[in-house]
Amino acid sequence: MVSAQKGQVRVITGNAVGAYGAMLCRPDVVAAYPITPQSEIAELLSQFKADGVLDAEYVEVEGENSAMNVVLAASVAGARVFTATSSYGLVFMYDALQEASGFRAPVVMVNANRETPGIHCVSSGQQDLISARDTGWVQIIVENDQEILDQIIMAYRLAEDYNILLPIMVNYDGFYLSYLAEAVEIPNIEDVDAFLAPLKQQPERQKLVPGVSIGCGTHGMEMGYVEARYKHCQALERVKNKVDEIDKDFGDYFGRYYGGQIEEYRTDDADIVILASGSATGTVRTVIDTKREQGIKVGLIKLRLFRPFPAERLVEVLKGRKAIGVIDRSLCFGWKYGPMCMELRALSPEIGPTPLLSYIDGLANLDINVPHIERVIDEVSAAAQGKPYQEVTWIPMEE
Amino acid sequence: MVEGTKKRNRIFDYFCEGDQFAGGVAWCAGCPLELTARFVPQVLGKNMVFVGTPGCAAPVLHGQNIGAWHKLAYMASVMTGVPSKATGLARYYNRIGQDATVVCFTGDGCATDVGFQPLSGAAERGEKIIYLAYDNEGYMNTGNQRSSATPLGAATTTTPVGKIGRGKPTISKNMPMVMLMHRPAYMATATLSHLEDFAKKLKKAQEKVKEGFVYLHVFAPCPVGWRINSNMSIEVCRTAVRTNYFPLWEAEDGKPGFTVEIANPKPVAELTKLMRKFSHFKEEDMANLQKAVDERYALIKNLCDAYK
Repeated sequence: MVSAQKGQVRVITGNAVGAYGAMLCRPDVVAAYPITPQSEIAELLSQFKADGVLDAEYVEVEGENSAMNVVLAASVAGARVFTATSSYGLVFMYDALQEASGFRAPVVMVNANRETPGIHCVSSGQQDLISARDTGWVQIIVENDQEILDQIIMAYRLAEDYNILLPIMVNYDGFYLSYLAEAVEIPNIEDVDAFLAPLKQQPERQKLVPGVSIGCGTHGMEMGYVEARYKHCQALERVKNKVDEIDKDFGDYFGRYYGGQIEEYRTDDADIVILASGSATGTVRTVIDTKREQGIKVGLIKLRLFRPFPAERLVEVLKGRKAIGVIDRSLCFGWKYGPMCMELRALSPEIGPTPLLSYIDGLANLDINVPHIERVIDEVSAAAQGKPYQEVTWIPMEE
Repeated sequence: MVEGTKKRNRIFDYFCEGDQFAGGVAWCAGCPLELTARFVPQVLGKNMVFVGTPGCAAPVLHGQNIGAWHKLAYMASVMTGVPSKATGLARYYNRIGQDATVVCFTGDGCATDVGFQPLSGAAERGEKIIYLAYDNEGYMNTGNQRSSATPLGAATTTTPVGKIGRGKPTISKNMPMVMLMHRPAYMATATLSHLEDFAKKLKKAQEKVKEGFVYLHVFAPCPVGWRINSNMSIEVCRTAVRTNYFPLWEAEDGKPGFTVEIANPKPVAELTKLMRKFSHFKEEDMANLQKAVDERYALIKNLCDAYK
């Protein structure tokens, strides 16, 4: 594959990028319902349709549950589909999320992360994606506007891959990225076509066609159900390497690489590693650069793939490190650690007896700022030197 | 065939396909839902896709009893997603030029309660789908609990009769009227006792769905839940029509009209005595139900008369 042409560079918001990303992939059916902070996507896609730029069936549904049902059914019939949501919208889809993955529908959805608590909170946080963790979806978290666009394109290659056929949720921090205008290179649609073209060389997936004795969503009884679940789990396992492969293909063609399942920053000789995700990782890199100048050997793992959890690659990077700090922007109710820290703790036997420090920060639009990250690095560094440490720290509560 | 020896049943003129269901399917003896499910594809043809839910139709439509099934394409859904899934299918089939009749096939519980939001949404958007609600006046599959289609005074497992309880304290939701207020391309009520009327409405539904949303409300008594003898279900349908308990009417392009008018309607007590879900009724209970039936019929009649 030769390289793509240089795309047009525009300064647009994360939400606008989401809409452009969807349009460039030529979906057949789009359904969306507005919710803060995602609404701009629903509006822009409607405008693209009104302007004749987007040739898709656009269903302005009466709720998010219907948005997911519309796209998952169209997907099962053979359509390329797109939807976008956030927070309570995602939760309102909960039953349909299970069906989308259970039906093995290659739905692509963006989710502008927002708090999803029992008390209303219109602000950023990753609680929504955590609430949908066990729905059998692939969940990817991105850092900036350009990555939103690129990841949507990569998501179609992944979702519709004949050996995968799973729904993909592309997550980005609501408010921080949804309303942030950044310079973004928008690829030419022909280049996106070329990047997605390999899907056409694959065997055709099974589709729900009228006049044919075929069903979808059948009551799985006993072994039928078990077999379907087994295959679903196997497909999720295959996602891991596929994400790395697609990232390489994407980088080779468009010139931008994201590291696949995880992105490492200055980890090569690092004694301590900070694990974080989303828009906060930019700030973490800045602080790492400063701390490196002070002689602290610290690196970053940006967790991109959250489901399936990139266990193998994480173990490879984290084994033998002197201490690890995990910054979570959400909660794992019933455990004192944050959710990503919890996931990492499951790998403790493989990683070895390393201090693992859990930090809760950035809930409800509170910034994960430079002083916070400096504190994290200092404490993890001290733990690496054998000093006593606090296992879990709610940073905003201790300021 | 019976031809030559007996007057041919005109209903066969409406059939374009054979029975799509196998024998020995897992429905109860005397169930009008089974007959409805067998009847609909024979009139609408093989290019239909069923979208159904957990409920009385599920065991057969979605293959819970995989020993005896049907030949049609189908998509199973939870109760909250039926018209939305049908929307997704119909929009895509339309886009690629695939000939298809997408039929939602759900009970009254899904249509009037938990699945009402997407139904109302799809009707308002004018989606080109047929929504057929088979009305057995409650959650019969889960063991006879009340839905908002359960009539006034009916005894169910969640509106039981006791020292204080007198069955369901409120009237049923007037679902055909609710759906007419969405101004669908076509709306009709039907039941198995008036089979030709039902067939004509299905044919009309298939035509009108090319223009927009179609809602069909089919009265389907439950021999088990209502406690009816299994050989009496069609008779219950007929009596429901003859008492104006279940009027047969339709609305094409928003214009309502009766398809069957009853010259001398019988009292609703003629219907309630055929089943045991009203067996606790005292005179006052019966009077209240009769009043509710009369009131609803008058509303429909006034509306139909206004469009005459």
